[in-house]
Amino acid sequence: MQLKNKTFTNISLTLAAATCVLATPAMAATSEPDSWDIDAGLLIYAESDDQVQAYEGALSITKRIDDERSINVKAVVDVLSGASPNGAVAQNRAQTFTRPSGNGSYTTAAGETPLDDTFQDTRVALSTQYQQQLNRLWLYSGGANVSKEYDYLALSINSALARDFNNRNTTASFGFSYAYDTIEPEGGVPNPGVSVDDPDNRLEDSETKQTLDLLFGLTQVINRQTLMQLNYSISDVSGYQTDPFKILSVVDSDGWANDYVYESRPDQRTKQSLFWRTKYNLQPSGQVFDVSYRYFWDDWGMASHTIDSKWRMPLANSHFIEPHIRYYNQQAVDFYQVYLDEGQPIPEYMTADYRLGELQTYTIGLKYGFPIAGNEFSVRLEYYLTQVSGDESLAKGAGMSGVDLYPDKSAVMLQSFYRF
Amino acid sequence: MKKGRLLKKHYSLTRQADYWLGEFAVMASTCQVLLDDVNAAQADSLTALAYAEAKRIEVKYSRFRDDNIIARLNRAKGRGVTLDGETVTLINLADLCFQLSGGLFDISSGVLGKLWHFKQQIQLPSDAEINALLPNIGWQQAQWQAPLLTLPAGMQIDLGGIGKEYAVDKVAQLLENEMRLQQIGSAFLVNFGGDIYANKLRRNGAAWQVAIEDPQHLGASKLMVSLAQGGLASSGDSQRFIEVDGQRYSHILNPKTGYPIAGGPAQVTVYAQNCVQAGMLATIALLQGEFAEDFLKAQDCRYWL
Repeated sequence: MQLKNKTFTNISLTLAAATCVLATPAMAATSEPDSWDIDAGLLIYAESDDQVQAYEGALSITKRIDDERSINVKAVVDVLSGASPNGAVAQNRAQTFTRPSGNGSYTTAAGETPLDDTFQDTRVALSTQYQQQLNRLWLYSGGANVSKEYDYLALSINSALARDFNNRNTTASFGFSYAYDTIEPEGGVPNPGVSVDDPDNRLEDSETKQTLDLLFGLTQVINRQTLMQLNYSISDVSGYQTDPFKILSVVDSDGWANDYVYESRPDQRTKQSLFWRTKYNLQPSGQVFDVSYRYFWDDWGMASHTIDSKWRMPLANSHFIEPHIRYYNQQAVDFYQVYLDEGQPIPEYMTADYRLGELQTYTIGLKYGFPIAGNEFSVRLEYYLTQVSGDESLAKGAGMSGVDLYPDKSAVMLQSFYRF
Repeated sequence: MKKGRLLKKHYSLTRQADYWLGEFAVMASTCQVLLDDVNAAQADSLTALAYAEAKRIEVKYSRFRDDNIIARLNRAKGRGVTLDGETVTLINLADLCFQLSGGLFDISSGVLGKLWHFKQQIQLPSDAEINALLPNIGWQQAQWQAPLLTLPAGMQIDLGGIGKEYAVDKVAQLLENEMRLQQIGSAFLVNFGGDIYANKLRRNGAAWQVAIEDPQHLGASKLMVSLAQGGLASSGDSQRFIEVDGQRYSHILNPKTGYPIAGGPAQVTVYAQNCVQAGMLATIALLQGEFAEDFLKAQDCRYWL
């Protein structure tokens, strides 16, 4: 057979140009690592009756170092102002209180819930979190936080390991965190159970608190649409847990508060919680139902139930709305009492802080998100109602007849996020 | 969740040693999606996406249906048909390949399949039969002014020579988009009956190992190709050929003569940036017959004969 040769022109480049118009997968994989994710958020929180107002700005930067590693740095600045209940009961006459700092006094009108008006603070918090895929199945994360406000310093570190099992359908995780907080109230730490008017009512300059948290988690892919999560956490808190700004009224048989004493809480607390969550992704509409339940209990006698549900509904053009409903029910700690009776011995532990009392909160909210220049922007508006409950018949005598011992509280929160 | 095989209506999902394998049958081929580093739920949704897109392309361009754009064109009897954007790009590509191959790559040559069906065929078609069909073949007779395509009465086209590779690239593009949305950085490989696209190196740093079937020994692999990123396509007569009087006739037909191309390699495998490019180079190479390798050498591409 005769040996033949033929000359051809190169058509590869022409074909490459023509085919890349059809589909462009070849150019897509470039920008993944080395990317920065920046989340910015602004929050305005306002309680009814000019109580606490908070403004918060947050900036979170995540840098993906490579496919396995990422690092996040977050900064938060809060400005809080307003007044919060000081623990004293309302009276049918005006009440005057010495400020917790010992500087001056403030007066509450008859029938009003006594509010401590010294609540004013700026908090700056910085945190960093590092995450690394150790190998195909193990994920490590660790981080540190520092937060500082006028009289409070909080430091913490955390670490967690997660491992995938069962063809990556199951993830088990274990985490711990350790926190060390220092409080340095102006004027010194109040002496629990001692009258606010007692000149000898101050102890040390500062107190500390240590918290150790352990978390065990299990996440399970149920099917293509459903994800389930189960967590157990246990937390051991030791050290100063009393609120130096909270007091209790000492009430006589006619219902008149003639004295006020600083509250006192145990310096040991063990908290536990069980958390169950289900996320359901409805296809093809892309709606996401997210329902969770938490049961919490501790050795102070508190127990609570939380039911939280969100329903994310995609709309056209990457817009979405997300209604949110939450219900929370809490049982009071053993040493909660709305006031002390005059003539009775001062108990070792006592608080009239409504946040440790019996209460229910209801949250209803709506989030709306839409893209701006290819990035996600969202706004969330939420309404909280806190219903404090307790024995109404404790409003005794002339001093307290007709007063509301357990006033409701409501708040509105407006939050916006921008991710770019 | 049960381990292993999850049977769905249209596709199956199997856990392999270290990747998920989604499989379905579309375009008369076994189609596979290999997902390196995803969980079961992600594997399932990505396979579902791949299946839906492959099926969409099959339904839209199959020449065996009477309700799609190909059927409308082939029934138009000399009237012009306005094409949608996707079809315009495919016809443009077919037109370009026709030009670049000197008329050898021709989407109107499919009618020759009536005579050369390569299934239990023991007799060659007669010259008279072939000559009767030749006037209906020849893309140069079509009037193509995008988006209007006018085929002369009697001419039929089919996009079988492009469709599978196109489906591979389209599915790969969809998977990449979806993974970016879901923030999954997984490597994947799309394999539709030997037409392949891989997006990147696997998580363990290795390339995908693709076995190329030996045309002489079906079922056995002739060579292994490492594919990290890009398209791979094979063309050849490994499965479709006839032998008459000791002579092997390839199913690669010359649209100008109506006869199979002679003297060429049994199979050509080409690597290129994407699967369509690889497929077109492999097909046009085979159409060169004994000059297939000369053609490939001129293309500056990786190829295997």
